[in-house]
Amino acid sequence: MVDFTAPHLVRDISADIATQIAAAYHGRGDTESLCLGGSASRAAFGLADQATLPLAGHTGVVDYQPEELILRARAGTPLSEIEALLGKHNQRFAAEIPSPSADSTLGGAIACGWDGPGRAFGGALRDIVLGCQLVNGRGETVRFGGQVMKNVAGYDLARLQVGALGTLGAILDVTLRLQPQAECTKSVRFEVAPAGLHDWWQRTRALRPLLSGTCYFEGHLHLRFSGRERAVNDVLKQLGGEESGLDWRALMDLRPAFFHGERLACAYLPRYASLPLTTGQALVEWEGARVWVRDGDHLTLARDAAELGGFVRVMRGPTVSSAGTTPAWHRALKSALDPKGVFNPAYFERHFVDEGGA
Amino acid sequence: MSHIDSARTVDEQSFIAALKKVFHGERLLVSRENLSPYECDALPVYTTQALAVALAESEQDVVEALQLCRQFGIPVVSRGAGTGLSAGAKPIAGGLLLVTAPMKQILEVDPVAMTARVQPGAINQQLSIASAPHDLYYAPDPSSQIACSIGGNVAENAGGVHCLKYGVTVQNVLSVRLVSAAEENFGEVITLGSACLSQPGFDLLALVHGSEGGLGVITEVTVKLTPVPEHTRTLMADFASVRQAADAVSAIVRAGVIPAALEMMDKLAISATEAFCKAGYNLDAAGILLIDLDGHPLEVAAELAIVEKVLAESGAVTVHLAADDEQRARWWKGRKSAFPAIGRLSPDYYCIDGTVPRHRIGDVLEATERFAEKYALRVANVFHAGDGNLHPIIMFDGREPDALERTEKLAADILEYCIEVGGTITGEHGVGVEKINQMAVQFSDAELAQFRAIKSALDPHKLLNPDKQIPSLARCQEYRALRSCCG
Repeated sequence: MVDFTAPHLVRDISADIATQIAAAYHGRGDTESLCLGGSASRAAFGLADQATLPLAGHTGVVDYQPEELILRARAGTPLSEIEALLGKHNQRFAAEIPSPSADSTLGGAIACGWDGPGRAFGGALRDIVLGCQLVNGRGETVRFGGQVMKNVAGYDLARLQVGALGTLGAILDVTLRLQPQAECTKSVRFEVAPAGLHDWWQRTRALRPLLSGTCYFEGHLHLRFSGRERAVNDVLKQLGGEESGLDWRALMDLRPAFFHGERLACAYLPRYASLPLTTGQALVEWEGARVWVRDGDHLTLARDAAELGGFVRVMRGPTVSSAGTTPAWHRALKSALDPKGVFNPAYFERHFVDEGGA
Repeated sequence: MSHIDSARTVDEQSFIAALKKVFHGERLLVSRENLSPYECDALPVYTTQALAVALAESEQDVVEALQLCRQFGIPVVSRGAGTGLSAGAKPIAGGLLLVTAPMKQILEVDPVAMTARVQPGAINQQLSIASAPHDLYYAPDPSSQIACSIGGNVAENAGGVHCLKYGVTVQNVLSVRLVSAAEENFGEVITLGSACLSQPGFDLLALVHGSEGGLGVITEVTVKLTPVPEHTRTLMADFASVRQAADAVSAIVRAGVIPAALEMMDKLAISATEAFCKAGYNLDAAGILLIDLDGHPLEVAAELAIVEKVLAESGAVTVHLAADDEQRARWWKGRKSAFPAIGRLSPDYYCIDGTVPRHRIGDVLEATERFAEKYALRVANVFHAGDGNLHPIIMFDGREPDALERTEKLAADILEYCIEVGGTITGEHGVGVEKINQMAVQFSDAELAQFRAIKSALDPHKLLNPDKQIPSLARCQEYRALRSCCG
């Protein structure tokens, strides 16, 4: 049995959370709506810095079974603590989960649904969610999914929480799929002109399945490989290039200065897209499928992305609409899970039903 | 008023007359003999005759059929190839069966983007065949892959032999087009998901996976294709007990290896399969594991060494490495033919689908044996051990008066034991009609009410495959009461 709990980190405040939500639902609370939040570590990226229902105090790993490749932890548990625990068993989450600061929480990561550089080459956060327990808008504690690898009993309301910005429920705990840490990870870089990127994307396909990240920044294409040491070395020997030195962890956590300009937006595009980069400074990930733009013109960017079949999320600066094309379904789901609109009503309006945009 | 009552109040003849204007000639089946082949899916113990069967050839057909169903208050079950194993595609009395199997075109294979766009009736294996010239394939490979449709795969969130490493359907689909039945946009075709590896708004694509045709009708699917692995090696290990074989599965994962496939068969499954197709299995083994390792040749070589060591330490009697592609194919053909092979041993069989934590597989197999003795039935096991996804196959003779009843009771005992050890009642076959009672065991009233609220929000007129997958409150109370008094 794995000893996965340091007692001082474990705190179960689920009853308080459910009580407050039930009070809001029944109109007995101080307020009819609640702003859910974690550690506010994503406040610099356009998300709330103040919560009227803070969930960061609901902490602790509830279950960790290395042999089963699963971990269940409360929403307020810092990702950094979970990662330290997994590291002791030579394991990691089966997706890269950005943590902008050391106190970024698991629940916040699920609500935001951000993915790291490895998204295009393996697990997305939504792909590794096996189950979750939440308090719905009626104040009821409900659990969906489970702790096993495959589960199709009932609707997948666990995965639905990923990226829902806490508008569909107060997440109490989440079960995630894990994987063994790669035996070896190495990166190389090549000097590439922007026009040469497209040719590179033709070559990277042949580098799978060991390819685990691509990043194009300031004229260099960085390629990361993960796997058994002999296999990674063999690929690098054939590929050439110079040692990269890129800090992929810092990139994932959005720590480099690039991410802290006055304006920041992120374009999501079909893979191998060539986004015209007419404004601002760009950092291209996921074989062209994600382009970060610092200090660009967000309206132009949104138009260019839409022409390529993509869309834009603004983290800082003038907003543009990214509510999607299905507000009818968004409203229907909101009414089913949170009939009185208790959870994060402002986020819901802005991110899920506002079709007009800026 | 229930949907059945409301169906009785409408003029069924006018509904059919209206359908005939959309579905000409043989695309609308209404006579008893034409309806009978559509009475069930691949779980033939449950049958119902539909009011009519409509064969859809286009998205417009689907839209018009749904609009007529709404106008006349007729429930509709949509289905693809009908290979499902939970009676999810069984028609509803007085309802329409909308078959999308004729929409079987592979519309586009994009070798550069590594995606394919298909109609819902496209056959799973045909998609891999069409992608093969580009060294690509579609990863989820249910045992029914030669016949099952992609639309059905999405509706059930189908798995398969290779999903331990490559994921199930939800991890391999980029977007779907779907006809909505929600009040606000009834009959509108919406796109869920995108080619962008992220989507604005909620992850509705995840929600429709495994929704068993209850939240909309899928009219097009865009999938991710996977490069054919550069190198694959296949191991077969024999064990003297199923417990040892099951424990070896956990040991492989503990050693840090995630095989592309990790399958197990017990003695009964081995002998049935060997007699059926001479796969080359050891008939003296109590259990065998079939293991695929794929990827970069040096990666495969390193992991092969680890797995061989683990198997030896786990008490494998013999470990064979497939000498060539021909031998690999033969071993896998045996595995994939296991269901029909077992079908030859028994007039009827009934396959169930619980998933449990890997380290409890041995316990579940032993418990299954005990339960089977209680009901005087035989059970063969052939399953996705790496995922903990069990497929006990109960053999019975439907001509015996109480055989189906005993089979259902045994299935219920096994599924409820799966819940008890921390698992679920279905890993990949869906709830359908078959497991609807066990939903009341796995979920609380509040959870089931939440599912019903989702269903009503997106299907307020109760048109789409109603009364399956999510049990009514009354049904739950009845089953729980029955269980506690007769348990």
